[in-house]
Amino acid sequence: MPLLEVDNLEIAIAMRGQLLPVVRGISFSVDEGETLGIVGESGCGKSLTSLAIMGLLDGTPVRITGGDIRFEGQDLRQLNRRERRAIMGSRMAMIFQEPMTSLNPVYRIGDQIVENLRQHQKISQKAARARAIELLELVRIPEPQQRVDSYPHQMSGGQRQRVMIAMALSCDPKLLIADEPTTALDVTVQKEVLDLMADLQERMGTAIVLISHDLGVIAETCDKVAVMYRGKIAEAAPTDDLFARLAHPYTRGLLNSIPVVDRDVEWLEAIPGRVPGIDEDIEGCAFHPRCPRAQDICRRNEPKQHRIGNEHTSHCHFAEEAAP
Amino acid sequence: MFAYTIKRLLTLIPTLLAASVLVFLFVHLIPGDPASILLGDTATPEEVAALTKELGLDKPLIVQYFYWLIQVVQGDFGRSLFFGAPVLSVIANGAQTSILLALMTMVWIVIFGIPIGVLSASYQGRWVDQLTSGGAMLFASVPTFWLGLYLILIFAVWLGWLPSSGFPAIDGVGALGHLRYLLLPSLTLAAPNAALIIRLVRASMLDVSREDHVRTARAKGLHPSRVAIKHIFRNALIAVAAAFGFTFAALVSEAVVTETVFSLPGIGQLVVQSILRRDYPVIQGVILVIVVLYAVVNLLVDLAYARLDPRVSLQ
Amino acid sequence: MTAVVQQVQDIFAGRRLASIGLSWLILILIVAIAAPLIAPFDPYEIDPIARLSPPGWPHLFGTDHFGRDTFSRAIYGARMTVLIGSGSVIVALLTGGLIGMLSAYFTRAGNVLMRGVDVLMAFPALLLALVLITLLERSVVNTIIVIGIVYATTTARILYGMTLKLKREVFVDAAICSGAGHGSILFRHILPNLLSPLLVQASFIFAFAQLQAAALDFLGLGLPAEVPSWGNMLAEERIYITRAPWLLLFPGALIILSVFSMNLVGDAMRDSIDPRFKDDIAGV
Repeated sequence: MPLLEVDNLEIAIAMRGQLLPVVRGISFSVDEGETLGIVGESGCGKSLTSLAIMGLLDGTPVRITGGDIRFEGQDLRQLNRRERRAIMGSRMAMIFQEPMTSLNPVYRIGDQIVENLRQHQKISQKAARARAIELLELVRIPEPQQRVDSYPHQMSGGQRQRVMIAMALSCDPKLLIADEPTTALDVTVQKEVLDLMADLQERMGTAIVLISHDLGVIAETCDKVAVMYRGKIAEAAPTDDLFARLAHPYTRGLLNSIPVVDRDVEWLEAIPGRVPGIDEDIEGCAFHPRCPRAQDICRRNEPKQHRIGNEHTSHCHFAEEAAP
Repeated sequence: MFAYTIKRLLTLIPTLLAASVLVFLFVHLIPGDPASILLGDTATPEEVAALTKELGLDKPLIVQYFYWLIQVVQGDFGRSLFFGAPVLSVIANGAQTSILLALMTMVWIVIFGIPIGVLSASYQGRWVDQLTSGGAMLFASVPTFWLGLYLILIFAVWLGWLPSSGFPAIDGVGALGHLRYLLLPSLTLAAPNAALIIRLVRASMLDVSREDHVRTARAKGLHPSRVAIKHIFRNALIAVAAAFGFTFAALVSEAVVTETVFSLPGIGQLVVQSILRRDYPVIQGVILVIVVLYAVVNLLVDLAYARLDPRVSLQ
Repeated sequence: MTAVVQQVQDIFAGRRLASIGLSWLILILIVAIAAPLIAPFDPYEIDPIARLSPPGWPHLFGTDHFGRDTFSRAIYGARMTVLIGSGSVIVALLTGGLIGMLSAYFTRAGNVLMRGVDVLMAFPALLLALVLITLLERSVVNTIIVIGIVYATTTARILYGMTLKLKREVFVDAAICSGAGHGSILFRHILPNLLSPLLVQASFIFAFAQLQAAALDFLGLGLPAEVPSWGNMLAEERIYITRAPWLLLFPGALIILSVFSMNLVGDAMRDSIDPRFKDDIAGV
């Protein structure tokens, strides 16, 4: 049984009295200790997918309109709020894109870690503090005994993201969801944080869902990849298979657009055209207006799922012809 | 903290000095001879001449100012034309009433303003929110004296539950009886200010609730009420504390009206009476005292702000 | 003109309460203009026999202790409301607005000017009004000037902040590069961006001015006693509240409704202005 199983998930935003679909039926699964990368441009629905799995859509205009999310065999959509909260921060945890703002500025970082620990475990204040120091050491914060009493604004972005990781891992979660965890960081720091995550995963056996727009980051860290475009999975495969044979022109476009040196290049420019707005209707394949290989069939029919290899699928009419 | 306090105190001095110049010039801006103004209509020419000499009114304005300032710093604000007593003792008499009134009003503001604001923000967009934030705006639109007059009519005249006005000495009526006289005035004074606090708490909580760290708090699986109090409200408090200076200013302004409505012998009523009596030394004195008080309140607000927000550097 | 109508529609669409507020204010304006046509009685006419009569016919709101028709006085009171409100707004925006903008633009002289504003802000609002009023006679113009100056200080602060923000914008640099003079940059490039936040600020000043004017009237330091303003009506009749409780109800309700409406309108407009400036404007 996979640890996490997402089945035909649909998500929509309520806007001006109507529901606009953002995620249009996606399925994937993650086994224990495995890392799944979800990659796509902003607006493709990857972040909302992660928030939906975590259970953070309450109080937003976004809601799940169909499909199932099963975690450790439990259907998360059937749980009541209290049962749901018991999972959040304990067996399933999340880190976010913005390390600069994701910690509460008025509390010491140690207290913020302690809060998560004491929410889910019967543990004394003193023991929790000791554990927080251990966790800070684990995420390689120098001088954890002193830094435990620091406020977030006294730390760098990379350090804050480490604190977020320490907090997320404090209750030994089975699954860690990381939504663009390194996007806001400098390249060198990015690498350190990714290495740290990989290292901790190996030691603790945590499964990770890594959300990123950067195929390079995904390639380095993930066991398997799902490429999302406009609320659907365009291509999915184990990482090695994917790079061995790109079976969707969108994946190819993403790969070609990875900037090598200059991080400031606006990489979306590399794929022609723009991401369609959520209120636009597109007939046929959603990618066809931007696809260099678009044919008549792409404009008319929505592509079905094509199986290329054992676990390699692609939603492209020409998936089978794709050059290795 | 101590060094910061000292530094902030020092920065007050220029503002206070400039305000004191204005208060000093005030008597000179009134048409007529300052000595006659300060002595009132009944003064004899000899008295006027004597005061002119005493105050150095024949000297240049700048010299006069320093004379005056030195006296003020020593606590000598001159004599009231109406009471004949030193201005400072006249003010001290009213201060007791006003301070009690202010404290009781603050209690209402906190008791009503903060919980209703939190409630309003927690139910954003629902009927509870529409009722409370709409109601708060309505209360902020009510003239204080009008509210006071109808509270007197209902609770003092018709129902007879509470005294309508005045403030007898404490030994006559006992402590509780004493406070009964302040119940209606403090509620009157609290209404518009609590309304402002409600709207402020609501607005800043909504601002904070959109911040990323609140999402982190929810991702910990915390109960929504804990997220609302420990994370959203605690951070919103920073903006609310910063606004308490304005609340104080509003309080002073409205206390002038409220004390008049309820015939409370406080500083507010003293200002109005003194203006009507043309008792200039008292007007000068009260204004100076209030300006200093206002400055101190703003200083306290800054210090509270620094304590609430660790990002504010005290250096 | 159609653009203005469109904008008003955008702001008030789906805001029922704010729309009602706006309608009320328009009604007040019409009543103020057409007061002599609407008022059934002369607001100054004394009728000792009909003193303190309750609401009914022909005195809709009853009569005051001189026997004057409260309804007619209230109709004429709308004139004072519009006059005091718009007068204070104009004084506050012209003096405070100009000081704030110029101070932010010419920083060196501006620092000195803004220190002056700080000093005035060291006096709580009504206290400042009281000090100023002591120096002046009771009259409509003086009341407007005093209330205008009180709110000029906050307006100056707000405009100072907003102009400083705008000064750093690219379009200002572009204007400087294209050789625009100071006047042109200030009034043709910066000012147009400030108009909608200014309008919001104006609506809040209008609302506050009503309350301050009523308070001054009540203290006997506002408009001359014979002027039929809603605040004066309350001040004059307050001692008759036990004998004629309805007497203060109508002028009071009119003040509350007008201030409330103005606050609603200001609130609705604030939500629709540039988010950069939203925090600068303090309203209710």
